[in-house]
Amino acid sequence: MIERGLKLGGLTPAEMRTDGSLSEALKKFERFYVGAEFCENLLPSAEALKRAAGFFLEKGKKVSVVTPPLTERGIKELGRVFKALRPLSCPELELTVNDFGALELARERGLGVKLSAGRLMYENLFQIRASVFQVVNSCALHFFTGRGINRFEVSAVGARQLTNFAKAAALGFSLSEFSLTLYYPYLNLSSTRTCLLGTPEIGPHDSVRGIDCRRECRIASFEVVYPDVKEKLLVSGNTVFMHFPGKLYPAEKSLAARRVDRLVYCPLP
Amino acid sequence: MKIVSCFSRISEIEPLSAAGADELYCAVADFPSHGFGVLKGGSLRTAAARAHAMGKKLSLAVNSMRLTYSARHLKEFARRMEDAAADGVHSFIVASPSFFELFSALGRPLPGPVHLSSVQPCLNSLAARYFIRLGISRLILPSQLAPLEAVEIFRECRAARVETEVFDYRFFGCVYVNGRCNLHDPVFHTFREGAGQPALCRCAPGKGPAVKPVEISPGAASEALRLTRRLYARMTCSGPPRLNNAAAFFDFFAMGTNYLKYGTRADTPEVKVGKVRELRAMLDLAEGLSRDLPRSGARAAFIDRMTKWQGIEGGRP
Repeated sequence: MIERGLKLGGLTPAEMRTDGSLSEALKKFERFYVGAEFCENLLPSAEALKRAAGFFLEKGKKVSVVTPPLTERGIKELGRVFKALRPLSCPELELTVNDFGALELARERGLGVKLSAGRLMYENLFQIRASVFQVVNSCALHFFTGRGINRFEVSAVGARQLTNFAKAAALGFSLSEFSLTLYYPYLNLSSTRTCLLGTPEIGPHDSVRGIDCRRECRIASFEVVYPDVKEKLLVSGNTVFMHFPGKLYPAEKSLAARRVDRLVYCPLP
Repeated sequence: MKIVSCFSRISEIEPLSAAGADELYCAVADFPSHGFGVLKGGSLRTAAARAHAMGKKLSLAVNSMRLTYSARHLKEFARRMEDAAADGVHSFIVASPSFFELFSALGRPLPGPVHLSSVQPCLNSLAARYFIRLGISRLILPSQLAPLEAVEIFRECRAARVETEVFDYRFFGCVYVNGRCNLHDPVFHTFREGAGQPALCRCAPGKGPAVKPVEISPGAASEALRLTRRLYARMTCSGPPRLNNAAAFFDFFAMGTNYLKYGTRADTPEVKVGKVRELRAMLDLAEGLSRDLPRSGARAAFIDRMTKWQGIEGGRP
């Protein structure tokens, strides 16, 4: 059974109600992704995340709180988020991390929710190309599964990827050890800390304490077309994406064989 | 602060040592590493012997994330690293968590001191703690972290007697997270027939992209236009601002960073030697100014002289 999720980006349930998308989203999706995936400056406050997660849990939905790569500033904020989420701990609440520091914090605080590895973690254990999806080696997988992480979240990049799952036994792992989430329709190609939109100029005497942007990413996304590149790129905040307009994941029947049991629709990159 | 230099030919060891390198590292063809430039002109054992003869430690880069091995090959990989240590490799630069899991599963100690590569970007003290628990002896900071953001990481490392290493701020190309950039090579995007295949993450003046805003927030059209210009400029000529500059280097120096790395293995021997000389000159300047002036004065003078400096060809800064 494929679970269907919706990544909210920066939207709150109240904003979804205002723009009229909330009731349809509640009908269509079983899981809601809240938080920030790529940039710590976009991580909602602990209280805002608690409100959003609490709202969807009360509606009988499942929730994944997504956290971005973190500097010390972000780690402090995440500590507050964990504290706020603790009363909501339940099997329907998950945490998706994109930084080993977040894993360490969850370990130290004993958050008590299921952890997943987010889209910026996949290179630790998978090799993904348009035509290839492989577990790089059994130890990479066991590093995570041995620490209680069995779900790995990736972008959908092609319907006909060759996997090495048929050779799992020879490679030293079992397919039952892990599940995959596919995000669509945007593939994150590359992320930077020095956001091309928001990083202020840095003078020769400046040693910065963080990226003090003005959240320029909320103004617009940007379509980027190189004369020699076939695909359009999309810059949204600190990340460059590719957009796949067509259906890129295989028929739902075959998803299970590929260990995919969750699809996450991202209306915005 | 000591200088760690890459090399890719046995014949480079002596001139790099003479230019001021305190430690050396290389990559070899049969150990997966990130980047280009594997050892030529002799074996790893020969390289280690030559480095030792110069009084230098040798590290081996095994920092590819893609250690694509079967269960049997993983065991062989572990044995080969142990052999490399026996051949004189002092330490291993690694990025993949599977390295730690492998030796843990085998019930054997790590083959030598382990330096966590910047290809596994460690941006906070808890990530540092995570890898310190796994047994690293040195943390190589990603270039996308400023010194004032790294204060807690340094505290964590010092408490665990883990060394710290930074890259020279002038010789580092990609502005995206190190080792995770899918704009370097056409992994997912494709070029038109006959086109070159430039790295899209590098500044590319000339045949730049067309940039246009989409999904503009209501009432924000003029701001979107301003951002379009900024994005175009940063994607073509100017690049995004670098967190690491002369000021940042001086702050890392003053914070007691243990090592300064130059790591472009694909550079020619002459370029490598020139760059190590530049690192040595820069370090000498920071040390001299710190000895002679109060910290704020030394910092200001360092930034001023480094900003004006045209490189080693024109003399010392």
